Amino acid sequence: MSRDVARAAAQWLALLESGAATERDHAALQRWRDSHPQHEQTWQKAQTLRQRFNGLPQALAMASLDRPQPGRRAVLKRALGVAALVPTAWLISRQLPLETWRADLHTATGERKHLSLADGANLQLNTATAVDMDLAQRQITLVDGELALDVPGPSAITVNTRYGQLRVGQAQVCVRQLAAGCRVSVLKGAVQVRDLNGQLATLQGGQQAPLQATGLGAWVPFDVLQLGWRDGVLTAQNQALGDFLRELERYRPGVLRWDPSLEALRVTGSFRLEDTDRILNLLASTLGLEVHARTRYWVTLTPGRRLS
Amino acid sequence: MNDAVVPTQAAELTLSSLYRDHRSWLENWLRRRLGNAWDAADLSQDTFLRVLASAQPIAQMQEPRAYLVTVGKRLLVNFHQRRSLEQAYLNALATLPEACVPSPEQRWLLLETLQALDELLDGLPVLVRRAFLWSQLEGLGYREIAERLEVSERTVKRYMAQAYEHCLLVDL
Repeated sequence: MSRDVARAAAQWLALLESGAATERDHAALQRWRDSHPQHEQTWQKAQTLRQRFNGLPQALAMASLDRPQPGRRAVLKRALGVAALVPTAWLISRQLPLETWRADLHTATGERKHLSLADGANLQLNTATAVDMDLAQRQITLVDGELALDVPGPSAITVNTRYGQLRVGQAQVCVRQLAAGCRVSVLKGAVQVRDLNGQLATLQGGQQAPLQATGLGAWVPFDVLQLGWRDGVLTAQNQALGDFLRELERYRPGVLRWDPSLEALRVTGSFRLEDTDRILNLLASTLGLEVHARTRYWVTLTPGRRLS
Repeated sequence: MNDAVVPTQAAELTLSSLYRDHRSWLENWLRRRLGNAWDAADLSQDTFLRVLASAQPIAQMQEPRAYLVTVGKRLLVNFHQRRSLEQAYLNALATLPEACVPSPEQRWLLLETLQALDELLDGLPVLVRRAFLWSQLEGLGYREIAERLEVSERTVKRYMAQAYEHCLLVDL
């Protein structure tokens, strides 16, 4: 399509929509459309273009498409910066003011981050996680998601959660925010827990316990494979496929659906988290399933034809 | 039908050597800027697709990595625009009354539609874009748009023509 034809079509459209087009204008437009096949073609395309905006939910479409734009240069600058400095989109809320001594860190769905803190401590953030850091006070607040913290030195770091505080020194711990509480897993050392009522308790290496509004629950031993995400691995040992997929969903933006008949199939294996599409394909080929990707954000698993 | 680029035997060989020699390097480069391997792999794949579809003959490429980075940068910018759209979209979703929230499937389909439109409108000046959106999405007349933007109706008409021309040219 030539620029001139596009321009002419655009002028016609703008005139028609102004509501000021006369009978003569309409006739002239018809002549223009008839005068060359390319004109008519472009006109049809313009109609298709207008339809693309039809039927969209107004408020949502307007808020998204007319969002404040940072300008191309700013976007470029941000795009080329180091990833750890880029605030990610998936966590919508809780944007606390950034001050020099206070950093808010987010990971997007599917993203993991690793930070080395002063005196050899290591902090890892799992998918869809938000933390506030106040290193001057040696405090980390888990806002959402899951973190792993390794503090080899004696100077403890306090982890704040919605349900209480943990004191981590010469210890290694994982904390995951769940729907109604946190799950605390101590990998090494001992971690002191203080619940919302001020009750103190200690969890030892190898112990896992729920921390809820009512306090710290009874501990159980846990399998360290559960925490494989720290090495970028998701491991299943004879796990129900449904449970496995619910876990995998945390790492994928969008919708993952599966046929209820697949729920109880068993899965065993270790999977690299960096490519969850590949995990789905692997599952599909070993379990004889089919993967239907309607869009990148909407994937459905069904029994393969051989089984149905 | 789509006229996809059909590589000749020679071009295919060069593309595959380009891919073989530079893919993991490019993925690393992207991963450092994206912070996650999944998106980096996607974008590196897209980068090679762009190279394949571009007019520049691969065989004559002097500095393949510099070229890949140029293409990769453009895709990174697009990626961040998609992210910022996603964020605005999720923010808007969060403020909708429960009854108006679309089902999860619709939500993602709608997001993809909006991303395509966002890309289509990319590059238009802010006011032109806004005038066009008011007209297309809210069905506002030129007079109302003129009042809201505090410009003349003539200017609104010019904006609309500019937006249409832009879209018709992009959307070839």
